[in-house]
Amino acid sequence: MGQLRLLIQVAFRNLFASRINLLIGAIIFFGTLLVVVGGGLVDSVDTAMSRSIIGSIAGHLQVYSDHSKDELGLFGQMGGEPDLAAVDDFSVIKPLLEKHPNVKTVVPMGTSGAMVTSGNTVDLLLARLRELYRQRVDHGETPELREQLDSLKGHVRHIVTLLESDLANKDTLLSDGALEPADEEAIAKARSDAFWAGFEQDPFSALEFLENRIAPLLPDGTMLYLRYAGTDLESFQKSFDRMELVDGQPVPPGKRGMLLSKFFYEEFLKLKTARRLDLIKRERDINKKRIAEDPEMQRWVKENTQQLREFALQLDPLKTKLAIERLQNHLGTKEPNLEKLLASFFATTDDNFDARYATFYKDLAPLLELYRLRLGDSLTITAFTRTGYVQSVNVRIYGTYQFKGLEESQLAGGLNLMDLMTFRDLYGYLTPDRKAEIAEIQKKSGVTAVARENAEDALFGSSAAPLVADATPGLLNDKEGMDGMGHLRREDLAERVYNQQELEKGMVLSAAVILKDPSKLKETMAELQQSAKDANLPLRVVSWQQAAGIIGQFVMMAKMVLAIAVLIIFVVALVIINNAMMMATLQRVREIGTMRAIGAQRSLVLNMVLVETLVLGLVFGAAGALLGSGLIAMWGHAGIPAGNPTLYFFFSGPRLHPTLSLGILAAAFVIVLVVSALSTLYPAFLAARVSPLRAMQTDE
Amino acid sequence: MSAGQSPIVSIFDVTKDYSLGKVVVPALRGVDLKVFPGEFISIAGPSGSGKTTLLNLIGCVDTATAGVVSVAGQDTKKLTEKELTNLRLHTIGFIFQSFNLVSVLSVFQNVEFPLLLQRKLNKAERKDRVMQLLEQVGLAQHEKHRPNELSGGQRQRVAVARALVTRPQLVLADEPTANLDSVTGQHIIDLMKELNQKEGTTFIFSTHDAKVMNHANAVVRLADGKILDRVTSAEAQRAMAAGAEGH
Ligand SMILES: Nc1ncnc2c1ncn2[C@@H]1O[C@H](COP(=O)(O)OP(=O)(O)OP(=O)(O)O)[C@@H](O)[C@H]1O
Ligand SMILES: [Mg+2]
Repeated sequence: MGQLRLLIQVAFRNLFASRINLLIGAIIFFGTLLVVVGGGLVDSVDTAMSRSIIGSIAGHLQVYSDHSKDELGLFGQMGGEPDLAAVDDFSVIKPLLEKHPNVKTVVPMGTSGAMVTSGNTVDLLLARLRELYRQRVDHGETPELREQLDSLKGHVRHIVTLLESDLANKDTLLSDGALEPADEEAIAKARSDAFWAGFEQDPFSALEFLENRIAPLLPDGTMLYLRYAGTDLESFQKSFDRMELVDGQPVPPGKRGMLLSKFFYEEFLKLKTARRLDLIKRERDINKKRIAEDPEMQRWVKENTQQLREFALQLDPLKTKLAIERLQNHLGTKEPNLEKLLASFFATTDDNFDARYATFYKDLAPLLELYRLRLGDSLTITAFTRTGYVQSVNVRIYGTYQFKGLEESQLAGGLNLMDLMTFRDLYGYLTPDRKAEIAEIQKKSGVTAVARENAEDALFGSSAAPLVADATPGLLNDKEGMDGMGHLRREDLAERVYNQQELEKGMVLSAAVILKDPSKLKETMAELQQSAKDANLPLRVVSWQQAAGIIGQFVMMAKMVLAIAVLIIFVVALVIINNAMMMATLQRVREIGTMRAIGAQRSLVLNMVLVETLVLGLVFGAAGALLGSGLIAMWGHAGIPAGNPTLYFFFSGPRLHPTLSLGILAAAFVIVLVVSALSTLYPAFLAARVSPLRAMQTDE
Repeated sequence: MSAGQSPIVSIFDVTKDYSLGKVVVPALRGVDLKVFPGEFISIAGPSGSGKTTLLNLIGCVDTATAGVVSVAGQDTKKLTEKELTNLRLHTIGFIFQSFNLVSVLSVFQNVEFPLLLQRKLNKAERKDRVMQLLEQVGLAQHEKHRPNELSGGQRQRVAVARALVTRPQLVLADEPTANLDSVTGQHIIDLMKELNQKEGTTFIFSTHDAKVMNHANAVVRLADGKILDRVTSAEAQRAMAAGAEGH
């Protein structure tokens, strides 16, 4: 094989003989670098994201009703939740799907969203006071109870004082913000010593006065949008291995209940001051940012020094005293004003942050209610049902959960989990229980079915399933529900344990399918679709990518952009290499003619030119691939920080550790070979046609 | 010459026309020529007389418009492109006016090149053969050099070695000394002559130079695409002198 060796030798020596070759080499080098680095990154994001999506909620496949107007979008879509038709009976589709040998589990599901009010400090206090006075009625007074009562009362009084000074400020600021005379009167009454002196005589009416007249003046409860997925929680936890309980306990099997996402709990229900401290800590620890340089962190610090009201409201006089002591201690001052102490305490810098963070959680947090909602409490969720009625459901929050690696991701973290029964209630689907309950209420109160929300019916109820057409009797006001029979019924519901059959025999919006062998996803998808068709069930079977909606398309889009970039680069490379090789061939006609004259066949000349470009491609391509693999390996080791929590989802965690698959390297290799071969075909053909006569030319 | 031998080159009534657009330029007009093995022949004639054209036909790098060109007993008209290439590879060696070495290859590799094309010898045999020729042309110690590190005379000696490395029956050289000074040119012709005598290789070369012509056994004189005569070198010189006087 002396000949081939010769050709390769000629090729190598020609490699650096001309500038043109260096130009071609540079193009191939950067092209390969792009393929390897770009491909590696996109591939890794793809893998990471598929892990995020599959492991958090989608499973490998999702099955939903073919009557749906919109396509399934588990993470929502632009303009809210997609319009899906319900699958009336999960117990029909489950066995159908489970029959397939590649299906591991089928998990029932439905996602939706509703508004909730996060509790208002004074509401919570008053509710607790009421509870304590009830206890006193039932069991009599103990010194302990007395102490608790006085403390709470002190706190409420303290809040009223704060409220008065707040409103006085507002009065001077906004001329038209003047308080109604009735409200002023109410505050004056609540401030008066007489009111508090008379409190013990009739605590319940005093409480009622506070609840009705004072609490509404405190605007610190916020409306929150709560996205939730109703599912069989037990099966969900088993099937989605990324899910883990953080605090609290799992919802007991068969019971109604909810697990809030840890992210949601922290972001929306935690005391803002504490949340901001956590965020600053995260930026410092994970993203290695510094307060001195980062405007966002500076904003958090500033807000912490200014927005102290929520904080101050939480402290009763006793706790205020403790807080002042502790702050004075830590700061080493004698400043007696709590707000001033807090403002200087929260004016954190890079130097003192860690110490203050620790002090906050050690000394101040125990005095505070860090979250607006305690685990074990109930949350009232108010949703529009499919028919447009407003439906309110009380559901107990058992704990918080998170998806491993996606702790900080809004996308994954925005989703809260609830049991199927509650979901169906909110959706407007009537369980037999609920139907019975409603019938009883109607009979007792003599109310005939009132469709109060008829106007909304026209707006929302366009594609009502026949199942829910018989409708709920308008608003089940939770105030009504808290009293008398309704209250009891709700307690019953909260305690009720549903069996598997009850859970499954009912409506769902979709079903997540977990596969045994995910590599056969495509085939399984087609086969399941076929078996649904055979069984005459109007179902759509989609992959996790499609089920994730826009987010699922993200990687596809990134891949396409990359492919187009690569295509453009290589088309340019193709043209340039082609021209360059033509020029090189023309420069070498005499040399080629000489070879032909002394006995080289055309094929040899052809091979010579081809080998030359191949060698060029391989040498510079290998260099590009090497650098690319080096970069990926480096990033794979150190991890690329997501920086922005939005990216956590795509990175499947705070850092992406990209890896390079052999496929990408092989693709780069093939692309380089094909491009160099294609771009040289014509020059090589021309070279082969060079006549031996050209050797005789004396062109000097 | 030697009547019992068959000629290595046999040309019969050959014409060669070049067409330049619509104009037809007759470069050769009915040429007959026989060259026998071992001859050392010079082709002489004024510029444009058709020397290069004739050598190209003999060297199988071009084809005649009419007539028969036989090389080593084969009618070149009847051979395919591939066969012609093989004929050149195995039977003919070329020495060019501008040396035509492959610039990126070393002296050794340039000389080895035709052997690699032939695929007859293994690596060790090739090495022996190449070194033997480099010694003959006096460049053994330059085997690793690149052509651009050599003088013109040295380059032409490499070219001579390359032309002879396959032990061809016939070596063609179109004005091999035209790009060299007269002393160096003289050396090249001496070298060729030496190889002709030692190895019995047939040489046909063209030249303007009377001194170069001196070394030839015979001089074929061309004018206007026709062979005037075939004479000894002494006769040719006399004729040239006379021609010069006539002007
Ligand atoms: N490729 C060509 N196209 C057209 N005409 C040509 C071509 N090659 C040679 N000729 C013409 O053919 C004739 C013979 O040319 P040739 O090159 O054979 O002469 P020569 O004896 O080698 O001349 P010189 O001594 O200048 O090299 C000339 O008239 C020349 O112009
Ligand atoms: Mg000539």
